[in-house]
Amino acid sequence: MIEPIPTVLVVDDSPTVRKIVQMTLQREHIRVITAGDGLSALTSVADEMPALILLDIQLPRMDGYTICQIVRKNLQFRAIPIIMLSGKDGLFDKMRGRLAGSTEYLTKPFDSAELVQTVKKHLAGWQQRMPPQYEGMRTRLRRRG
Amino acid sequence: MESQDLIMDGDLQTLGLQSILKMLALSGKTGTLFIHSGRETLSISLRKGLIVALREEGVNQPDLLTMLCLMNRLDPQRAQALREAAQGNMQVALPLLVDQNWMSAAEMQQRLEFAITQSISHALRWVNGRFAFHRRVIAIEGRMQPLDVDSVLLEALRQADEWEEMGEVSLTRATMARWLPEVSNDVRSLGLSQDHIDVLCLANGEVPLQAMAMALMIPEARVARILARLLELRLVEVVDTALEGELQQDLTNIIIMSQHTLAQQRQNLAPDQHLIGLIKTLTQCINGLLIHHGTYAKSLRGRGQMPVADIVNYLERRFAGPLELMAKQQFPILETVSFANGQLDCTEIFNLDRLVRGEQLEEFYWEAVRGLAVFLRTVFTALLNDEVGNSYTGRQLNIVWKAFLTEIDQEIQQYQLYRAGQHAQQSRSRFNDSAFQGDVNWKSAEQDDGTFLRSSEWQRRSI
Repeated sequence: MIEPIPTVLVVDDSPTVRKIVQMTLQREHIRVITAGDGLSALTSVADEMPALILLDIQLPRMDGYTICQIVRKNLQFRAIPIIMLSGKDGLFDKMRGRLAGSTEYLTKPFDSAELVQTVKKHLAGWQQRMPPQYEGMRTRLRRRG
Repeated sequence: MESQDLIMDGDLQTLGLQSILKMLALSGKTGTLFIHSGRETLSISLRKGLIVALREEGVNQPDLLTMLCLMNRLDPQRAQALREAAQGNMQVALPLLVDQNWMSAAEMQQRLEFAITQSISHALRWVNGRFAFHRRVIAIEGRMQPLDVDSVLLEALRQADEWEEMGEVSLTRATMARWLPEVSNDVRSLGLSQDHIDVLCLANGEVPLQAMAMALMIPEARVARILARLLELRLVEVVDTALEGELQQDLTNIIIMSQHTLAQQRQNLAPDQHLIGLIKTLTQCINGLLIHHGTYAKSLRGRGQMPVADIVNYLERRFAGPLELMAKQQFPILETVSFANGQLDCTEIFNLDRLVRGEQLEEFYWEAVRGLAVFLRTVFTALLNDEVGNSYTGRQLNIVWKAFLTEIDQEIQQYQLYRAGQHAQQSRSRFNDSAFQGDVNWKSAEQDDGTFLRSSEWQRRSI
């Protein structure tokens, strides 16, 4: 009757991008939380333990590469897939993202269908990645069908 | 359900649902009857030949709590609390409503009975399918009084006949309808019955016919008849969810693209380049919206592959008028903008630097930015109203659109602050009788007086 839903954290300084991603993923029954800067993003990661992070690179207060490195160094959060969202499509930028620990790199302007496809691909098996202390978060349930 | 519990099974063409139910009731059986047809499954729990519960699978179950909110019977906070307590299970939510005195026990029984009758009536119309009767009763957490099979069957058959009497109809129990945006006259003057008005009130584009029937306790066939009448009166339209999904995706991609262009043009440090960047962003966005509308405009739908000339004519008929009016009344610079093949052509504005320079050029650009920003709003509002109206999709797109407009407004405001700063500096220079540096550099203005001239976001980006 009921099943847990994954939470995706969207970190982008543009309110438009945050709203678009939120609307697009909510249609797919994915819960979305957002952050407009680097420090708020880290707070949200610790508080909410998202199943996936969509991360812009150019951010106020702390850039996406640094956030990615911090998440990857933390034993509790290191398994969270991080998809970098950036307007920079050069090989160097993609390499830098990969070195910082990103799982995938999406170039802006992205196609909303491509975004959904990528997010769904990396959300597969998200429940297995959740540490036991975040069990309580799974109580956010939705009615099936 | 384990196979040793199976008492009988078979084909619906051999033995119809009506006969199976009668037989089980007469022999006072206890167990669960499963009826499968296509993706749909109905499970009816019987105890000593009486119906004690029913469950439908394969179709979206209407959320009665939302319906009660729409009918002003329940406030949204209470509904949310109940939804969480019942974990989305309506069999649990209804008794909770009774416990809280928000619904009488009689009404609960009536609603459950009605829902069961509707589901059986729906299944009675299945021609192909299979049935299976198992010994075990599925545990149900409801508090329904057991129902007599005969009386349920009688009403269900009557309702099934009502559907049949309607003949060929395109409406199904999953059909959703919503108010047409252009309806402005008082619907009471149309002589509609209370049932018609109740259905009309629930036609918000999110409530399927089945849920309307459940909420109003009017048989589905009658709701279908009412909706057909409302469609005839052009008070509602049928919502095509697949089309709206496609439309939403297309508009979203246009906004993503425009936001990306806007973010890129922020890197321009010279004020005239900043303005040109804004003009390019606005033009690109307007043209994207025009192409989109050429595909999804309501009056162009359902006519197959349209000739490009017809689409261009439609777009120009629709939007050239408002553009001309704006050029005459507010922004004369827009007189240089024309429509070419259904697209906005701003070449003359982009070539203005060949004719004028300096402050005058900036003035022209500034007027164009303001004019195009107003026109962009006009185009989007008209387009959204025409394509999706006041629907859930429309409201969602409006939220995203407002966020994008806020970003554009911030850019415009940033330039306004720059202008204000520039004017203040000119006045100061005149007052001090010192040599005035006529062409204040966009970048140096930021360095000299950044806190005043720039938004915090701009400062962050320049760092």
